Amino acid sequence: MREALTGFVTTLNWTVLGYVLVLDTSMLLLVLFGARRVVTNLRWSGAEGLDRVFASPLTPGVSVLVPAHDEEAGVLDTLAAVLSQRYPLLEVVLVDDGSTDRTFALVAERYGLTPVTPRWTADTVVEGRVLSVHRATTGDPLTVVRKTSVKRRSDALNVALNLARHPLVCMVDADSLLEPDALLKVARPFIEDPEHVVGSGGVIRTANAALTDRGAVLEPRLSRRWLVRIQAVEYLRSFLLGRTTWADADALLIISGAFGLFRRDAVVEVGGLDPRSLAEDAELVVTLQEHLRRAGRPSRMVFVPETVCWTEVPETWSVLGRQRQRWSHGLAQLLWKHRRMVGNPRFGPVGLLALPFFLLFELLGPVVEVLGLVSVVVAAVLGLLDPGTAALMVAVALALGVLVSTAVVAVEEFTFHRYRSGADLRALLLAGAVENVGYRQLHAWFRLRGLLAALTRRDPVWTAMPRTGFTTAVAPAEA
Amino acid sequence: MTTLTTAALVATLVLTGAVLLLLAAVAVEHARRGRRLAREERRRAELTPLVYAALDDDEDGAAALARLEAAPASLDDLVLDLLPQLRGADRAALGRLLARRGVVTRAAADLAARAPWRRGRAAALLGNAADPGQTDALTALLADRAPDVRCAAARALGKAGDVRAAGPLLRALARSRRVPAGVVGMALLDLGTPVLPDLRAAVTDPPSPAAQALAADLLGLHGDVEALPLLLGLVADARRPAAVRCSAATALGRVGVPTATPALGAALAQTAVPALRHAAAEALGRIGDDDAIDLLAATVAGGDDAVRAACADALAGAGEEGRARLAAHAWHSGRVGEAARAALSNRPRPRDARVRRAA
Repeated sequence: MREALTGFVTTLNWTVLGYVLVLDTSMLLLVLFGARRVVTNLRWSGAEGLDRVFASPLTPGVSVLVPAHDEEAGVLDTLAAVLSQRYPLLEVVLVDDGSTDRTFALVAERYGLTPVTPRWTADTVVEGRVLSVHRATTGDPLTVVRKTSVKRRSDALNVALNLARHPLVCMVDADSLLEPDALLKVARPFIEDPEHVVGSGGVIRTANAALTDRGAVLEPRLSRRWLVRIQAVEYLRSFLLGRTTWADADALLIISGAFGLFRRDAVVEVGGLDPRSLAEDAELVVTLQEHLRRAGRPSRMVFVPETVCWTEVPETWSVLGRQRQRWSHGLAQLLWKHRRMVGNPRFGPVGLLALPFFLLFELLGPVVEVLGLVSVVVAAVLGLLDPGTAALMVAVALALGVLVSTAVVAVEEFTFHRYRSGADLRALLLAGAVENVGYRQLHAWFRLRGLLAALTRRDPVWTAMPRTGFTTAVAPAEA
Repeated sequence: MTTLTTAALVATLVLTGAVLLLLAAVAVEHARRGRRLAREERRRAELTPLVYAALDDDEDGAAALARLEAAPASLDDLVLDLLPQLRGADRAALGRLLARRGVVTRAAADLAARAPWRRGRAAALLGNAADPGQTDALTALLADRAPDVRCAAARALGKAGDVRAAGPLLRALARSRRVPAGVVGMALLDLGTPVLPDLRAAVTDPPSPAAQALAADLLGLHGDVEALPLLLGLVADARRPAAVRCSAATALGRVGVPTATPALGAALAQTAVPALRHAAAEALGRIGDDDAIDLLAATVAGGDDAVRAACADALAGAGEEGRARLAAHAWHSGRVGEAARAALSNRPRPRDARVRRAA
């Protein structure tokens, strides 16, 4: 009996180690390929023709859709950033999704909102009740919708979609700040490859502690909280370099909900955002890929690594846990809904590469990692663990993890170099190392809980994240 | 020690070594970058007044120009940054300076470089330098294998200002290695009114439907009254692709001459193509004469939802008379009243697209 148990635990330990090594090696490859693309893109810097996109009367208009639920801390900054975009033709549709704070009052006061009769341009299904529609009297192209909340971001976005007038729709979170050229940069692929491009996204970076003024990020700074610093490295790895590589392979699955641009007609054609999904951003991209590829139509999703949207990330473990649980739950929903695409060559690299990767490493990753931790403890309790060998194996895994994180920070330093101070750079490097001890294991636990929630078919619940607002340089935006 | 543990030990050491190397590289880069940026800033501060002085058409300017010819390489970047913001004689002067420093010759050689970004950057530089001697080379690049390079070449041709590029630009819309209409359109707009004959020719004898639609769009943006008969012919010709007819209708609205009202009215009333009806309604709103307002007011009361909305929007934007006619409908209950109220309360405010672009 003991022999069998020993054999089982040993096999499990080696399997988990092998899995972690394969996962980290894959991440390293994603980082390296992403870095290559970023370097190539930067070589074009200044020759991309953004000035011509801005000057052209042929540039398609953009409707920016902003869902907001209890966003009084940052909504004015977000609107200021969107409305001051260097873009020739845009409108903003803000949906106050049943806020219980001063979100609407602040916007109404700043922009002098007046009630109007809505002009609906689509009829995607919406569950919440629209209470009123308002328009700015300050000359800003801003429409604000008040609706009852059904506790789903997708419902608010679908209302906004029904009011959008322009051929492109950009979804932006109400706790995010777009850089002034962000729209120009993500819209450029729609102008240069109009027949194929359906969606386009930019990089999400952590805004906590960044110095801002009326929606403009004056100086990116790293938060003093280690939890935020680790997420900054995580965002660089997954949202900057990872997505750059996936997009290069024509296998991009996620365009972040915080900042993504889509062809409006395509989004309306698939019925808007899925109201049941907890990962509605990824869900929209995969639905579009499935729908368009089934019809034999182009479905190119582009990622523009130079474009930046700054967003608030969780500052406490409990909020982070809820967020990551929701993401994992949403990913499980998505993979189940689109299970026929997994491994299916009909869907190209999305079916053959991206979906299997997300299934094996993103969804099932926490199962293997948590199981590995438990098996190590069991092995130690049963006296099956050779401390020397175990330490070496942990050292290999740790060294590989730290190498991936350090490579990510190195790419950032050699390319975008957003964090100017040496102290921030050192903190970022240290956070990349610390991430592998404690954070990664707890993160796996959060994701495992999300997976279990999906497996037990628990009702999807969208939980709002407490906002702290942005660090202003001069005076608060509402002043 | 087993083979496996030995391998693990070696792997750990190699990985740790790689981490240390990366850390060292990051530290060196961080330190060097700081010094490099400070040095560049200093040089720019020294050179910028000289560059501005060189733009003066006097002896001081000539002296500054002579000094700049021997300036360090960072001058080229400074001039290249400045060039897109300049026009006329100033731009030409800096273009000549770049030519004398060999920058233009190097860029021309780079048009045949292996890396697409080098070809693209070279094209952008030549466009900014506005050297007419490079038109043929840039035209050849419209068929480049890299789409980004083709776009860069089209933009460069627009900026270079040589009207000989108009024909190749229009033909580039229809090749297998094509340049998208948005990019070609802006390049043609950059070339200005001298390309109007080419655009009219592309309407009558089009290299492709895409070129015909784009040419119609651009003629409208130029407000070319001479093109009126051509555009009227396109709108009325049911054999033409819907996109071409829509562009022609939109163009007629932009030209804004009331003689187009009957043709647009016919398109609004008779065609079964929703996009064309929409374009015709918008165009009638832009023209805004009495007949156009009558047609729009009649269609608001009787069209389907999408056309009704388009007509209501057009009336809302057609001045006091249009809004008065719409206000009469706004009292009605049902969809007609709703469309009228929505159009009246959502009509564009002063800060429109043109204001944004000018800002």
